[in-house]
Amino acid sequence: MKGVLVDLTKCIGCGSCSVACKLYNDNKWVEDRAETGGPRAQLCDANWTVVRQVKLDKDLNALPLSEKKVDAVSGATDSSNQVWRFVKTQCFHCAEPACVASCFAKALQKDENGATVYYPNSCVGCRYCMLACPFHTPKFEWEKPLPRITKCMFCSGRLKKGESPACVSVCPTNVMKYGDRDELLQEAKQIIAKSSGRYVEHVYGEEEVGGTAWIYISDVPFEQLGFRVMEPKNPNSYPLPRKALPHWTEPYMHWTPILGGIWGVVLAGLYIITRRNKVAAEKNASSQPAANG
Amino acid sequence: MFTDMTVPQTYKTESGLFHLTLNSYLSFTVGFHDWTFRITPLRLLMLLTAAAAGCIMLVRFVVGLHPPITNLNDEYPWGLWKGWAVFAGVALAGGGYGTAFLVHILHIKKLEPFARRTLLTSLLGYILLLLGLFLEIGRWWNFWRPFVDWGHASPLFEVFWCVTIYTIIQCLELAEIITEKVFKFLHCIFTFIFPAVVICGVMVPSMHQSTLGAIYLLMEGRLTPLWWSPIIFLFFLLSSLMVGPAMAMLESAIAYFTYGHKTPLPSMRLLARIGGGIMLVYLVLRLGDLYLRGQIPVLADAAQHLFTPDNIEGQICLGEIALGVLLPILIVFSPLGSTYIGLVLFGIFGTAGVFINRMDVVVVGMVHDSGYWYFPTVMEWIVCFGFASIGLLAYLFLVENFNILNEPEHHG
Amino acid sequence: MTQNIDVVLSDTKPTLPPLSRRNFLQLAGLAGTAGAAALTGCHGKTAGGTGWMPDQYNDAGTFPVHSRGRVPIDVINPSICRDDRKCILCGQCADVCNNAEAVMGHYELPLINDIPCVHCGQCTLWCPSGAITEVDDTDKVQSAIDNPDLTVIAHTAPSTRIGLGEEFGLPPGTNVEGKQVAALKALGFDTVFDTNFTADLTITEEATELVHRITGEKKAPLPQFTSCCPGWVKFCEYFYADLIANLSSAKSPIGMIGPMIKTYYAEKAKLDPKKIVVVGVMPCTAKKYEAARPEMNSVGRYLKDPSIRDNDVIITTRELARFIKKRNVDWEKLDPKTLYDKLLSAYSGGGAIFGATGGVMEAAVRSAYFYITKQNPPKEFLNMQPIRGLNGVKEDKFKLPVAGKETEVRIAVVTGLANAHVVLDQVREDVKSGTKEPRWHFIEFMACPGGCIAGGGQPKTSLPPSDSVRKARTGAIYSIDERMTLRLCHENPEIVAIYKDFLGEPCSEKSEELLHTTYFDKSNLLVAKKKA
Repeated sequence: MKGVLVDLTKCIGCGSCSVACKLYNDNKWVEDRAETGGPRAQLCDANWTVVRQVKLDKDLNALPLSEKKVDAVSGATDSSNQVWRFVKTQCFHCAEPACVASCFAKALQKDENGATVYYPNSCVGCRYCMLACPFHTPKFEWEKPLPRITKCMFCSGRLKKGESPACVSVCPTNVMKYGDRDELLQEAKQIIAKSSGRYVEHVYGEEEVGGTAWIYISDVPFEQLGFRVMEPKNPNSYPLPRKALPHWTEPYMHWTPILGGIWGVVLAGLYIITRRNKVAAEKNASSQPAANG
Repeated sequence: MFTDMTVPQTYKTESGLFHLTLNSYLSFTVGFHDWTFRITPLRLLMLLTAAAAGCIMLVRFVVGLHPPITNLNDEYPWGLWKGWAVFAGVALAGGGYGTAFLVHILHIKKLEPFARRTLLTSLLGYILLLLGLFLEIGRWWNFWRPFVDWGHASPLFEVFWCVTIYTIIQCLELAEIITEKVFKFLHCIFTFIFPAVVICGVMVPSMHQSTLGAIYLLMEGRLTPLWWSPIIFLFFLLSSLMVGPAMAMLESAIAYFTYGHKTPLPSMRLLARIGGGIMLVYLVLRLGDLYLRGQIPVLADAAQHLFTPDNIEGQICLGEIALGVLLPILIVFSPLGSTYIGLVLFGIFGTAGVFINRMDVVVVGMVHDSGYWYFPTVMEWIVCFGFASIGLLAYLFLVENFNILNEPEHHG
Repeated sequence: MTQNIDVVLSDTKPTLPPLSRRNFLQLAGLAGTAGAAALTGCHGKTAGGTGWMPDQYNDAGTFPVHSRGRVPIDVINPSICRDDRKCILCGQCADVCNNAEAVMGHYELPLINDIPCVHCGQCTLWCPSGAITEVDDTDKVQSAIDNPDLTVIAHTAPSTRIGLGEEFGLPPGTNVEGKQVAALKALGFDTVFDTNFTADLTITEEATELVHRITGEKKAPLPQFTSCCPGWVKFCEYFYADLIANLSSAKSPIGMIGPMIKTYYAEKAKLDPKKIVVVGVMPCTAKKYEAARPEMNSVGRYLKDPSIRDNDVIITTRELARFIKKRNVDWEKLDPKTLYDKLLSAYSGGGAIFGATGGVMEAAVRSAYFYITKQNPPKEFLNMQPIRGLNGVKEDKFKLPVAGKETEVRIAVVTGLANAHVVLDQVREDVKSGTKEPRWHFIEFMACPGGCIAGGGQPKTSLPPSDSVRKARTGAIYSIDERMTLRLCHENPEIVAIYKDFLGEPCSEKSEELLHTTYFDKSNLLVAKKKA
């Protein structure tokens, strides 16, 4: 399985990746609706990848969104206790994606490189995948009368040609590295080990929802950067499942037809037995009035 | 005064095929051949709502789902229509298979009065569900895709197939009734296949009712833990079974107030008690599940702060369990449960409880995850009420023209 | 019979031709094929991948390429902005920022809380698709002109007059000084001054400061750095904050003309300083940043109303050209002999050559010679070839009698910030090793290669900006100087007058208040990359 290692400490927020995504996938710019960069950057039908800016206190607590760089021009004093980080966001391409398990028309499938790809021709537009995804990744073309689900495709066409994904190929500071997922995981662990405590001791995506193809390392706790985490410190956040979500539905879908079949046999048996009783009872009933009368 | 002036007057076409009867200034009856349909102000209102819903449907197909048609968005992909049609509608329609099980499989004669009317509500519910689903899916021209591309890992796949099959089954069941009056020569065929149809007609819905809950298994960490549970499918199955009797109570009430048709009290009481029993099992499981997942404190907190807006989800969940499950149980197993009034109250609370449960799962339970309160647009509401009107009108028409309320004329 | 029916049909519905049997069969066939394709489970294509990528990114794997990605631009950058829709990821902006200006890629990651930028605007010149541009401020100018309560005063930099013509089809190096003034008047500016005047003023202050440093009258380290290039100043604050004391405290010409307009001129013209809008027309995007620096309100502090800024709006040469075109000012009909308004417009050849690399140095040396020797410099100081031209680092030395002692004065001229690293690292090393005798006494720094004539706000030329254009523009600048009889800044009669009437003498208390500034340590905003 292929993967990408994202080192968030290297991102300068230039947005090359989001431009590359637009260029390669021929997506429209909808800055008025959803920005691709800055504090309000968000994925949408046309934004398959965005770079979200997170402003933190020096002690690494996320500041509220409205917090602005106080002294824009001199860059001096007032904002000096702020730290900025940039979070490249796109589909994580889970090893066992909930969206694939949710799709009842096989419009979402995993390809040979581990990319979770979307086939619009098969899609019914039920939007179950949007709810099943633990990362809120699939989006919907709400504005269109003939809409599609949209999400990052891991540039599956480029991967098939042996090229790296568009966003990875354009990054000027090498935030992202494309390669074999297992090797990248080892590399990530080595970087963390060698960093003498500069990085958070966690590779995001190693275990989250059963592992993802895109893995992240950071010097700031992931929860502060707006990631959903497995053990959130914020009491209002729900924990991200550790187990792959299809582990819930797989046994269910496996056992339901079997149990259903057994239930059918039971029903047939009950029908035959009770019907015999009923016929007998009716006979009694019809003979009784005669006896009475 | 008016009664004097409202002497029925009937106008007939020359052929006698169409006829119109004025019952009063506000009410008249239209007729075709030997079918009749009474139009009252309320029914007129429902017809208008249905027509409005139809217009909105057409607009939706042309312009899509975005505002002002719906308030759905990327944070709230499923809203009122999904909750109303797919989840609540199916649950309420689920009364049919439970009663079918009791009457046709277990052959409980006492309950036979309920068999046909619950079948009818169920069938109407499913047809409207399919229609609603067609309206709700974004790529409606692709609706047939899952028949070809089998996404068999998805719970929705099973729901889709089962709902389709069950709708066909119900049509066959209904055909057995219809052919009593028209196409009488076919009646024997439907009577012959009836047992097989009935067995499938219980098996298939019991599978998909639970699978509707299983759809939400994938929403772990997104659906509020008050509703998400690893055994949510069991809750859906049980609640779809227990809402059947409650719905049947309501239908009996409607039959009484509309047609003066009195359902025998013992039959009603028996059915309600069966429903109450299932509710009891449901309640124990639900509370046990909430306890094991550490959610009882949330409910306790909601109970302590009933009138502060800090824990709205907890309050709604508490209300749903207390008023929609606990209260009907108390009613049905108290002396009140032996009176018509008590049974109708049981029906009202029981039905509302399950309906609200489904809306909670689809709408309220996702508020925390999406970060804001979704509220449907006027259009969404009109379509929902329009669909309900279509269902109700169709029910009334069929009840008024076919032998639904009474026991079958020649059963077996 | 059938024919009759056909006729009737086509008569009643002329717009809809009747569906012929053939068409019907075709339609049915199409529908059938589509249906069959669907039923066989044909998924069709995946979404995405319908666009294109620049060629350098289409390699297998992640091979290193020279030009990758683009520069980061903060949305609140006062100088430059980018329209993402036009970006083609050619990598040119990153290339020039990294290799010519030594900003991008010269700081450690992660970032702290700033997207480092010196606002030089070279990326706007290199961007082939016009995605990166200056922040357009012409609307602000227009609304000021439209307001009858406000007096809108423009001042034009030395280099705009030799750049603006290119926007109207004239060859590079055409001097359009008069037409520029006429255009500004036609656009509705009330008064037009020449920033060349304050270029002379800057030189008198800066040269005096240099002399004070050399004689020890001012306790500040040598070498003295020029401070008229805001890109360079910010670069110094970012990467060489330890050398901030070496920066001349004299403000740039725009920093001087604003206060002079709102005090000296306002007094003479009986205007309310609050109702004056000073608009600088500059070849430079960084001037927008400079004018917006919080401390650039010395006139406000002087007049006890800190909200009054030294300069209110800065527009670039390109914006002026766009403004002229948008307002349909007929370029051909503008009088090339139009003169600047009096009082703050007279200039010397020394002020005129400010726009070319080495020009500030040459002008300063001419005046410094005067301030030290009390006599005007000999002829060789009027054509200092060693410090002219497009070389990145140029050096020269000459002998001067300082306090009766023959002293060697060593100067250097740096253009393009990438070259600044070499010189500054040497200075830093000298400071560290405690060398008594400075290696250089005075160093001129210009962020843009070639100086202001090739500034980030100048008309775009060929790509990459070519030296032939730079040379033509430089030639035009020096020919202005050559043709002038007044070539020494301190001899400018209006300068003499302003000192006599208003300021006193160079580096007096009043001129320190209005014409000098302070700099801020910005090294906390980034971690400079250590040399390999």
